Amino acid sequence: MDRRAYIKTLAAAGLLGPNRLLASKANSSLAAESVENLPKIKGAITLYLGRGEGGLYEDILKAIEERNPELELKIRRGPSSALANTIVAEAGAGVQRADLFWAIDSGSIGRVLNDAGAEPLPSSIRDMLKPEFRHEAWTPISGRIRTLPFNTERVTREAIPKSILDLPHSDLKIGWAPTYAAFQSFVTAFRLLEGEKTTEEWLKAMLSKARALAGELNVVMSVASGDLDIGLANHYYTLRLKKGRPEVPLDLAFSKNDAGCLLNVSGVVLLQNKPETELFLRHLLTIEVQSYLAREAYEIPLVIGIQPPKGLPEIAQINPPKVDLDKLADLKPTLALLRKTGVL
Amino acid sequence: MQRYSFAKRWRLYVLVAPIILLALSPIVVLIALATQEPLEFGSRNWRILGNTVALTALTVFGAVAIGAPLAFATTCLKLRGGGLVLAMLVFPLAVPSYIGAFAYFAATGPGGELETLFGIAPPEVRGLFGTAWVMTLYTFPFVVLSVRASLWRLDAGLVESGRTLGLTPAGTLLHVIIPRIRGGIASGALLVALYTLSDFATPAILGFDTFTRAIYVEYNAFGLSRAAWLSLQLLLLVFVVLIFESRAKTVRENPGRTLRWKPLPTTKFFVWLSTIAIWISSVGLPIVLFFVWIKREGVSSFEPSILLHSVVPAGLAALCAVIVALPLARAASYGGRTGNWMLRLTSFGFGVPGIVMGTALVYVGLHLPWMYQTTAMLILGYVLRFLPLATGSLREGLDRIENSLTAAARSLGASPVETFRRVKLPLIIPAALSGAALVFLEAMRELPLTLLLRPTGIETLTTRLWQVYEAGYFGDAAIPGILLIFTSFVAMLLFLRTERLLGLSPKAET
Repeated sequence: MDRRAYIKTLAAAGLLGPNRLLASKANSSLAAESVENLPKIKGAITLYLGRGEGGLYEDILKAIEERNPELELKIRRGPSSALANTIVAEAGAGVQRADLFWAIDSGSIGRVLNDAGAEPLPSSIRDMLKPEFRHEAWTPISGRIRTLPFNTERVTREAIPKSILDLPHSDLKIGWAPTYAAFQSFVTAFRLLEGEKTTEEWLKAMLSKARALAGELNVVMSVASGDLDIGLANHYYTLRLKKGRPEVPLDLAFSKNDAGCLLNVSGVVLLQNKPETELFLRHLLTIEVQSYLAREAYEIPLVIGIQPPKGLPEIAQINPPKVDLDKLADLKPTLALLRKTGVL
Repeated sequence: MQRYSFAKRWRLYVLVAPIILLALSPIVVLIALATQEPLEFGSRNWRILGNTVALTALTVFGAVAIGAPLAFATTCLKLRGGGLVLAMLVFPLAVPSYIGAFAYFAATGPGGELETLFGIAPPEVRGLFGTAWVMTLYTFPFVVLSVRASLWRLDAGLVESGRTLGLTPAGTLLHVIIPRIRGGIASGALLVALYTLSDFATPAILGFDTFTRAIYVEYNAFGLSRAAWLSLQLLLLVFVVLIFESRAKTVRENPGRTLRWKPLPTTKFFVWLSTIAIWISSVGLPIVLFFVWIKREGVSSFEPSILLHSVVPAGLAALCAVIVALPLARAASYGGRTGNWMLRLTSFGFGVPGIVMGTALVYVGLHLPWMYQTTAMLILGYVLRFLPLATGSLREGLDRIENSLTAAARSLGASPVETFRRVKLPLIIPAALSGAALVFLEAMRELPLTLLLRPTGIETLTTRLWQVYEAGYFGDAAIPGILLIFTSFVAMLLFLRTERLLGLSPKAET
């Protein structure tokens, strides 16, 4: 099995209609720009890039570099949470290195906003996003939803608990990736929605059942191979894998209105407000980049007027819980809980 | 050996003292950092300690179980192609264990590369036993080499007397041979233990929670204080091993003939079989895997700048290490006991695992913004960690300069400058070069230190491999992997030459 092929497959254009939650309502909205209309970026930018998407983000960055020959882009790669912590430690010591921070989950973004501070965003950028994704201090780039990928040969959809709380009490073989930032944001949402005590009990119950894997791609692959029945993972791993190998017995299930179907976003924090960083940010919100993310990476586009990825039910149907994304930053108690229960 | 006068020695000590302070500074930083928060030793700590000790013990056991019999076979049995067997057995030293871990991670288990190639999925290599297996594969040559050294010193006459006096072959092994090679086994085992304790990437890739992995997790959460506390605990373990190592002594034997037995055909077959099996699982697997990936995906993903980014800092580190090592080696060679003691202090750096050194230096960097995330900091890290390799090499060169040699030059009318230029320098230069080469190659293959200290925008062969592991784009690991194996291969050849670890040929011994 070629793990690389799963990710690097070409995708067909998404043909699903616009869904209700993501549909545009506000009047002050701006249409997404085309990269053709943007001026060229000139100058040096240091970008801290959270890993997780592998080559797809790299492809976008490479394309931007090619279009802007006078841009000198320096990239530091690492896990989002590690880079967030680096930025906080650097701010604490008065050493600022990064101009932009592109994180794959809002928890890491919140950590930076709370403990390191950020530059406010111009409203011209904010208004390009769908209204429910407009934030003062940072820009969401793409959305992802927590899912329960399951092996259709080993489990029926009906046998899957509707509530994430019941998952550890099922007799399913479960896989998860506790070191992954998106998982930790999910646990933070869990805490905010269900309280510390329930979360702790759930983690303990899960720990005795679930197999820990290095990343959520591995989780989805183990489910696909029948090694596991069900897993906890962001939606796009399953869609990308299905794209590469449509025959695998793999499908997505969603829990109902709890942390198990949390809608989270990747996003960028502006740490230095310079013309070049702002322009760089606008590049990430162009029609071209956003459609690429939806088409190739199966991520949910957040600017107005871009087709969502193929193969994902309407967000309103999934009914994700209402969690203030800014609050997902409260990672410390989550880490403490994960350590206390022995999950980490 | 020559000894300097009191005043000259003191001048040397003063020169060397700052280097020692610098070499010890990471430990001071770690203590300061760890005590910023209350020190706790909870259940998690016990688990990590237990895991680390269990992994080390299992690896040592495995390495001795594989290494000692094969050392015996290659030294004391008359095998055709024995040289080839030995070369195959030593070759795993040329593969950094994290490459092996990476290969096993990609190859085994459901969906692994072996399933793709052969349709059968071997069980996934992971956890305590998987990690110990991989660590064993890449460390057992230490035991082979050290046991061979003691077997060379064993006089065949002793064994034959034992046999004549009625001992069975098994009895000879038990009462004559094993007691004489115990020191060799011990020193090999301690090297294995040291390597296992400080290895970061192997347990990390194979999902086993040891100190190094836990330190990295804490570092990523920027729980630097907790990372420092775990680092100190790990250093304590390293220290215990180092104490044992300084005590492990090889028995001095009266010189005699080396033991040579004629093996039974079944024994021969078994030696070849196990050698080939070990070679395939340690060296063959990663190399084949890398070439399969290159064939499938080409080499386009490899950016040549990565090689440059590996070579330049490593080269500068080698240069700096030799410059710093020179006064240290002089202190050790001519400075009497104090000088020797000083050398030992700096050699502690080699025992400090890369991840520990990195954690300490990141913290130092945050307080020295002009050093933070600079190539200079990375080089400093390399120098502190690999300095002992340079001093060791230089010292060997200096020890060859006999008192009488310089005295002869002087009495023949050479000025001190000329003596230095024409007598001392030619003896020092080869030693300096091999020291520099060792530092260079070790720095090239060092992962955790590079991961923590590299400047933004710089990817090296090792960090690229790590990145590939984290992202799951395995094919991109092929070229960096092959280059790293090549680098390590050269390092191994030099290491064997410099350390004269043991007679790859009988002549080297006599």
